[in-house]
Amino acid sequence: MRFDLDMAARAIPELLGGLAVTLELSVLVIALSLIWGVVLVVGRLSHLLPLRLACAGYLQLVRNTPVLVQMYFFYFGFAMAGLRLSGFEAGLLAMVLQNGGYMSEIYRAGIENVGARQREAGLALGMRPFEAFRIVIFPQAVRLVLPPMTNQFVAIVKDTALVSTLSAADMMFRARLLIDRTAAAYEVFADLTAMYLVLTATIALLMRAAERRLGR
Amino acid sequence: MPNVLIASLPYLLRGAIVTLELSAVCALLASAIGIIAALAQSYGGLVARGIALIYLYLMRGTPMLVMVFAAYYLLPYVGINVEPMTGGVLVVSLYYGAFMSEVFRAALASVPRGQWDAGRALGMHGRWLMGIVIVPQALRLAGPPFINTCIMLVKGTSLVSVIGLVELTLSGREVVERTLAPFQVFGGVALIYFVICYSLSLCGKALEARLPHAH
Repeated sequence: MRFDLDMAARAIPELLGGLAVTLELSVLVIALSLIWGVVLVVGRLSHLLPLRLACAGYLQLVRNTPVLVQMYFFYFGFAMAGLRLSGFEAGLLAMVLQNGGYMSEIYRAGIENVGARQREAGLALGMRPFEAFRIVIFPQAVRLVLPPMTNQFVAIVKDTALVSTLSAADMMFRARLLIDRTAAAYEVFADLTAMYLVLTATIALLMRAAERRLGR
Repeated sequence: MPNVLIASLPYLLRGAIVTLELSAVCALLASAIGIIAALAQSYGGLVARGIALIYLYLMRGTPMLVMVFAAYYLLPYVGINVEPMTGGVLVVSLYYGAFMSEVFRAALASVPRGQWDAGRALGMHGRWLMGIVIVPQALRLAGPPFINTCIMLVKGTSLVSVIGLVELTLSGREVVERTLAPFQVFGGVALIYFVICYSLSLCGKALEARLPHAH
């Protein structure tokens, strides 16, 4: 068994075809879960007890079940109910529901760590509650929120590989097709691993640059 | 309709037992790997640190599914024919070992310097200092993130279903193929995972409440 460099080079364009799907899914999941997380954290911090409880319950539910099972639930479930979701759509739905929950926890930790005193100080200066949030809390919370968010983004990119089990043609899916066709498992896995490493390292670097920017 | 779930519950529970066994074995192995990697990263020589860093970077930067399939496709090439259970244990332990190492590394790092100095002032060094002063405090600090990583690990075991290990998730898929009731069955599967993971998180909370604050 030897490593065939030529084969490894020829596998790269095939995998790059899947990179578009992986990237598209990652970007959509990140954008939508950032938004869904805001909705959830507003509910979580609201004055209405039922809303607060509902959001806390939702969070426990998505946090304590595997995202793969959630994907199967939507993919096979909706198909049986007559509403056919593609593997991409079912994966997107499950990942946004789960990661939105994680995002809301990251927001909450950020807001709570800035502290009630800061808010009170803003109110004492005559700001309205929303102004106190926008001017005092938010800029400080953003800095606290970036490091855990980086971890979550990396986790999202890695989790997108799961949609390959629902026949969405991402990098993982193309890699498996390629191995079935060529039997060059070593070469293809080396390429695939390297591409995921580059992808996740890029995110980590970009986020660190953002941290430095905002840290000043 | 819910009787589909009731009828298939014994089969799902058999899968849940496999998930529990797999999780328990992997949590133990991952902890051992994590401790070794954390020590190598924090106190090892150049070579040990290099190996630990490459391992951590590789595991944290690539999807676990890639590792699962790699074990499935690559090991037979080098003449190692592993059963799904062995391959599953191998991949899940190695993968979450990297996350465990972060838990232990952070815990070791957050024992204050003063504790090291105090131990040394009492004439302790090396294994004594670590064993009596540092590690017990670090273990307390590691409690809650350790439980969180265990929950991640239990959920992560669902991925080995794709290489044919009949645990809870694959049991669910098999039942769905027979009964054609995906909402009920996967809802039930999710519920079983929820019971396992939520119990774990309750244990974590109890642990947090009971342990006195270190230092």
